[in-house]
Amino acid sequence: MTVNRRDFLTACGSLTLLGSPVFNARAATLSKRNLVIIMLRGGMDGLTAVQPRDKAMERARPDILVEGTKKLTSDFNLHPRLETFHECWKEGTASVFHATSIPYTGRSHFDGQNLMETGAHVAYAEKTGWLGRGMDAAELQGLAASLPMPLLLRGSAELDNYYPTYMRLPHKTIMEKIQASYTPGSELEQVLRKIRHRPAAMLREAGDNEAHELALVAAQELSREDGPRIAVFDLDGFDTHAAQGGSDGEHGEQLNNYDRVLRVLKDNLGDAYNDTLILTLTEFGRKFEQNGGYGTEHGYGTAVLMAGGLVKKAEIHADWPGLKSKDLFEGQDLNATVDARSVYCAAMAACFDVDFAYMKRHAFWDEPLTDLTDSLFRV
Amino acid sequence: MKRDFFRKMGFGLGPDDKVPAEPVAWAESQVEAVPDLSWPGEIPTAKQLLDQRAHFVYTDRRVIRKKFKNDRRAYKEAKTQLRWETGQKYYESLEIAIRHHTALHSGAPVFERLWLFWHNHFAIAEKDLLASWNTGAYTREIIRPNMCGSFTDLVKAVTTSWTMIHHLDNSESIGPNSQRGKWRRQNGEVATVNENHARELLELHTVSPTAGYTQKDVIALSYIMAGWENRWSKTREECNPVKFNPKSHEPGNHEVMGKRYKQRGLSPKSKLIDVIEDLCAHPNCAEYVSTKLVRHFVTDEVTPDMVQPVIDAWRETDGHLPAVYKALIRVVYDHTGTHRKFLNPEVWFLQSVKLTDAPWPPPPSMMQYDFKTRPNKLQRRLRGLMFEIGHPVYRPKQPNGWPDTEAEWLSPELLIRRLAVAKRVAREHMPIGKLEASLASNFDKADEVIDYLKYCRDHPESWRSTSRDTQFLLPSEWMLKV
Repeated sequence: MTVNRRDFLTACGSLTLLGSPVFNARAATLSKRNLVIIMLRGGMDGLTAVQPRDKAMERARPDILVEGTKKLTSDFNLHPRLETFHECWKEGTASVFHATSIPYTGRSHFDGQNLMETGAHVAYAEKTGWLGRGMDAAELQGLAASLPMPLLLRGSAELDNYYPTYMRLPHKTIMEKIQASYTPGSELEQVLRKIRHRPAAMLREAGDNEAHELALVAAQELSREDGPRIAVFDLDGFDTHAAQGGSDGEHGEQLNNYDRVLRVLKDNLGDAYNDTLILTLTEFGRKFEQNGGYGTEHGYGTAVLMAGGLVKKAEIHADWPGLKSKDLFEGQDLNATVDARSVYCAAMAACFDVDFAYMKRHAFWDEPLTDLTDSLFRV
Repeated sequence: MKRDFFRKMGFGLGPDDKVPAEPVAWAESQVEAVPDLSWPGEIPTAKQLLDQRAHFVYTDRRVIRKKFKNDRRAYKEAKTQLRWETGQKYYESLEIAIRHHTALHSGAPVFERLWLFWHNHFAIAEKDLLASWNTGAYTREIIRPNMCGSFTDLVKAVTTSWTMIHHLDNSESIGPNSQRGKWRRQNGEVATVNENHARELLELHTVSPTAGYTQKDVIALSYIMAGWENRWSKTREECNPVKFNPKSHEPGNHEVMGKRYKQRGLSPKSKLIDVIEDLCAHPNCAEYVSTKLVRHFVTDEVTPDMVQPVIDAWRETDGHLPAVYKALIRVVYDHTGTHRKFLNPEVWFLQSVKLTDAPWPPPPSMMQYDFKTRPNKLQRRLRGLMFEIGHPVYRPKQPNGWPDTEAEWLSPELLIRRLAVAKRVAREHMPIGKLEASLASNFDKADEVIDYLKYCRDHPESWRSTSRDTQFLLPSEWMLKV
């Protein structure tokens, strides 16, 4: 293992001074930067996506080993169905943060997903999301690719959402007339005005491939100079208790769904890809050992996949804890050595062009997170 | 007479309904007793649905996961078949049919609005298949029959129901010094209480954080609640009736909000009942729930003088719900016309159906299901429509249910859905006489609405109803807010 604790600490040793509040005006003078969060619900297995080259893997998971993996570094291989991610890696616009997790060690999807979005420690106690709080602090607007506003984005005032429907919208001239029934200057009137000014692509009925459509619209919106800077996606189905399988298994299928979204974003963001960061988020990893159904149970440590031009370089960041049973969390799971919220806070600091400490204070109650901004992102 | 009241307190009047001469008396007469569900088709019991769930979870977890461990596609196929067999993709639609039919046709729309209100107050979040089999039945069998007694009885029924216990993990709560807790520790396992249910009982269901309880109170209440479990068995997993299990119960007398709770009689299970009685009698409980009621029916900007009559009725009758409803009805009537409320998608949709006499929900004959194949398109549509309008009622994301203020319901995409649904509902042609009847009985300013509809037409002189009038009417501010 070349990635060891000492290297890691050196890499992250930069010190950031507590900054004064930063104004949005500053962000406006720079080229627009986008942050895309893809929530992988169900518990994404970091050990399947980015596999340590370790004999222990063969012992713990004899029936669900992935074949045909692609080599990333001397220590890690990539799942073969993450083709676009691999392409980004080769270009130097993809990296991985491994052995990390949100600070949640229970194994409930519901509590875990609640906490991955709120960024808090007690499930359901917090009613806003870390991204919403961060956007609010940076005074930015975002676009949620979902119908109900995701918890992750709550807390921000400037929100727009998009989700394709199979139903047809009334014609624009009809909407104009309906607007006449709305009290002038009311919130209702403003929202309808916003709808009427949407590009045609956002007003069409949905086709067959929802994830694809969402990614396409998000890419088009994010690439507009005056468009939103934040987009949030939801992908389901990572809870592979059974038939998780190897290269052709269910977990690979889900990783491929993520990869397809990445493909559409990369192809359609155009130059804006260079100023974009695409990050994954999940509630927990999966147990190190396979179960009787050739799947895996709920675990703890996992990986964050990062892509986009704002990624510093192709690299695996980890304070690697090892896979011997004494290294495992509760003797069963990959340990998380770094709080994943440090990665997210750094991503917001980098994309919103605000100081890490300022972001930490507003989005994460000034908890002791490590400033990873300079080591992970191009700023 | 204020005609807007029929929409503010109910779902509005249909084009053929007679306008009640005494609106307040009309409303009050609906809240004394629980009306029957009006759905003319078969209604599965909570028990039957729990059996289906049991079959599903057991077969999935214990049988097919093992059988097809090496074959992802075969596993998926087997699981799909199992979903059909157990109605997993069907019952939620059937529940919506039962709910909407009852809302529109039970003859007591005011009661039905309150039914939807209580469901959201005691919300069950989208979690672990609950929406597929349990939540709808819970609204029918736990909430509804307890709506005309005391609030305390309603809370007791909800707190000890299978669905709420599963939803808030109380079966996973183990007193650290209980018998089970000791066994677990001997085996090197963790044994602690799960605070979810206790916290929400305080925060969301009864006194709310304004009562000033602390984390210590939450833990003490968790100790008292430990033992209220959904019994586990090998062939049904968690799908067995609720049973108090003294082996998980934390021994000792614990203090919640300044009062120590002691065991009465032979079983410590009575302690929870005693706590619930005190929580429901707490002044903050009356204030919190009354405020929520007024906010739901009257306005987002609740003032103390609006809530006071409801609180007074609550205190005078120890939370006897019909008395509380009657005070609320008065307040709603008094504020009709001066205060408006942005309706949530489901209530708005039901009002749209009621006023235009649209064919919804589909009749029982079209809800027949063979449990062998995928439910047909029409059957899927009920569930699908609720998703489309952004209000899949059995699937709020959090235990605090769906939001109840305009700001949270007013995003671009959510408004788009109302425009699109209005277009669909408007497909049914409505004769001019019927539309005019609806406008006359439901709007205090019917003339303004008619002027608006005339403005919307390309040729105002040809004033006759077409589907386009409905399409303009439903997403108009008159319909969205009342």
